[in-house]
Amino acid sequence: MNKILSLIKTDFNTTFGLSSIAYSFKNKKNRWQLILFGIAMLSIVPSYFLIVKSLDGMYDIYAQIGQRSMFLLTGFLASQILIFFLGLLYVMSKYYFSNDMAHLVPLPIKPSYIIGSKFATLMISEYLTSLPIILPFIIIYGTKSGVGPLYWLYSILLIIFLPVVPLVLASIVVMIFMKYTNIGAKKDLIRTVSAVLFLIGMIYIQLKIQTIAQNALVQGSDFLVNLIKDSNLLVRKLGVSFPPSQWAALTLANSSSFVGVINLLTFVVVGIISFTLMIFLSEYLFFDGLIGNIEVSASKGRGKKIDTSDLSRETKPYIALAKKELIMLFKTPVYLLNAIGGVIIFPLILVMTNFTGGDQSLSTAIQMLSVDTGYIALACIGFISGLGMLNSIGCTTFSREGKCFWLQRTLPIRIEDQIIGRVLSSLGVQVIGIVTLLISVFFIVKLDILSIVLIVVLGLLGSIPMTQLGMVIDILRPMLDWDNPQKAMKQNLNVLIGMGAGTLYLGGLIFLTIKIIDKFYLGFIYGLITVIFILSSLILFKLLQVLISKQFEALE
Amino acid sequence: MLRLNNISKTYGKGTIKAVDNVNLDIKKGEIFGFLGPNGAGKTTTIKMIVGLLKPDEGTITLDNVNVWEEPLKAKSMISFVPDNPEIYDRLKGIEYLNFIADMYGVSKEERRKKMDYYLELFNIKDAVGDIIASYSHGMKQKIVLTSALLNDPKLFILDEPMVGLDPKSAFNLKEVMRKMCDEGKTVFFSTHVLEVAEKLCDRIAIINKGKIIALGTMEELRSNAERSQSLENIFLELTE
Repeated sequence: MNKILSLIKTDFNTTFGLSSIAYSFKNKKNRWQLILFGIAMLSIVPSYFLIVKSLDGMYDIYAQIGQRSMFLLTGFLASQILIFFLGLLYVMSKYYFSNDMAHLVPLPIKPSYIIGSKFATLMISEYLTSLPIILPFIIIYGTKSGVGPLYWLYSILLIIFLPVVPLVLASIVVMIFMKYTNIGAKKDLIRTVSAVLFLIGMIYIQLKIQTIAQNALVQGSDFLVNLIKDSNLLVRKLGVSFPPSQWAALTLANSSSFVGVINLLTFVVVGIISFTLMIFLSEYLFFDGLIGNIEVSASKGRGKKIDTSDLSRETKPYIALAKKELIMLFKTPVYLLNAIGGVIIFPLILVMTNFTGGDQSLSTAIQMLSVDTGYIALACIGFISGLGMLNSIGCTTFSREGKCFWLQRTLPIRIEDQIIGRVLSSLGVQVIGIVTLLISVFFIVKLDILSIVLIVVLGLLGSIPMTQLGMVIDILRPMLDWDNPQKAMKQNLNVLIGMGAGTLYLGGLIFLTIKIIDKFYLGFIYGLITVIFILSSLILFKLLQVLISKQFEALE
Repeated sequence: MLRLNNISKTYGKGTIKAVDNVNLDIKKGEIFGFLGPNGAGKTTTIKMIVGLLKPDEGTITLDNVNVWEEPLKAKSMISFVPDNPEIYDRLKGIEYLNFIADMYGVSKEERRKKMDYYLELFNIKDAVGDIIASYSHGMKQKIVLTSALLNDPKLFILDEPMVGLDPKSAFNLKEVMRKMCDEGKTVFFSTHVLEVAEKLCDRIAIINKGKIIALGTMEELRSNAERSQSLENIFLELTE
């Protein structure tokens, strides 16, 4: 028991950098950075407030049709499915790609102890994801339906156990996946490709289940009668895609009756059993996927004969920097999945929702926009610019240097080259996103050449300030001390702050466009957007010049 | 060539003085050894020279260029090999070398010549097509050494360079250092291997608790020591 407690303690400490925070706090370092960080976090508040406000409206709609419990199900489904998907990525890097494994494996501890302690830390990380989602649902429902104290007590228990089942599922899927893909020299590639395919497949299946359930529900002739008779009807029918969410919703919707207790017990007991099962399985699965996984097959110096005259080419420093960034992005599985996977998956989801018919509103929206392909082009430019932040390249560019950051600081690289090279690497990835988007949109609506050119040029131009905005955030608080690339990318708060800042910038621009779209000729709007993109790029470039040179000196 | 003027660096709330008023004047064509016990301030001093740590007080100049006022100019004259080189392990050896050469603006002809020579010398020519993650510690050290020599630096700074190198490569590195000095370049390195310092260095400085406690040629150190003759004994006597 002592062993597992000690493992959990150490893992908490290294994952959340507790000791180093305490160190900085004690030494009064980075105080102004903390203040800036606080301000940046505040920038997320307006977007979050808008979402919460729309949830409030959603509750009213469900209340009108007498299916208030459906509101709770939506919350639990959203948070648990998100935990599962993020869990796949977290588990993969935490169990298999973190550097501390090289120290833990030789120690006399059981695989289940390692998994147990890692699982505990992941639970905490997942609370950070699940709380902002589930809390508004629980609070809105609780305050608007006049519930008793039991409701709040059950809520606490549900929140505590919320990540267990999805995270257990993610752990088991990943452990099986890693055990059977631990083969050959190209395993990184095999894993990345199959992981992307798996994610796309899971999204497709989820959307499909929802659609089938919705259709089946509406088709029955006595649907409306049943709807009135059974206030939990929708939850019972639609919750099948993930039963634990159904139990959670039913617990709270029936908190004053026996049904609530039964569902709560089911939720908790299934959580405990599934956790135990995972720990049991880890003894058989974990080491098989891990051993030989950390090591790259050792260089025997028998590689292809390299003739230096063929391979030594002179390149401009910013091109060389962009090239290096892109190679690192493509060759590190975690980066590949998050940055490049992201720009491919988002446009694909767009198309798949259209094909599975799960979301009619999207095709309706596109049909409305189709009146003038110029509007579609505008929407695509906005989408691509948004991807410029979602690809997380700008807001992790310095963090990803990690322990190699010394190189950037000791080499004679001009600040301008630093900025241009890093922006170029983001644009390189954006090109992939643009191509995917254009192909995806092609299936829904035919675009003319002019629109395609506009999307490509303005999409790339719009990605520049988004990347730079991310870089501003990252240089102010680079996360350099990591032992696992996941920390630099997905567990990096800069990504979240970047999204908040990006939403403000892009949201403002979209707001402006909507306000003036009827009043001006479309060409003028394109011109205006171009000017705004260029001006903001230049301003951010100047700001970055100052910040980078200051931070390169000040960081220790 | 390299001049450190009253350099100080404090950690914590001004309580721990890692480097305390250090003055050094290192000449052109000199191999300079920097010795001291663990935590004495060697790496801190080196980090301040190469631009990784800003001194609280004092100036560092390189051929009259202030390292912290004209960093780009200074950095293009320096090559630095840290004690535990963390480099981009997802790049192939050759990609890493090209990246560094691009940053220093080394011409194609020059980098080909240098690569051929040093890769052969350190016996890693056949490994440059592999990714760095597959290298052993020593091979990584060799690729960093090769990359640091591509730009023909005026000042070559190494922190514990012999750690992890096989005997032949360690010998070759010493030869390289000697040859550089013959060409008028300067080598500044820290080490715990006292025999290396004794045999190789033109001058030696010993730092303890942030202060330089001995500085001079081997002969000068010997004549100042009370009874000791070997560097090991001098070192132990001074740092007690």
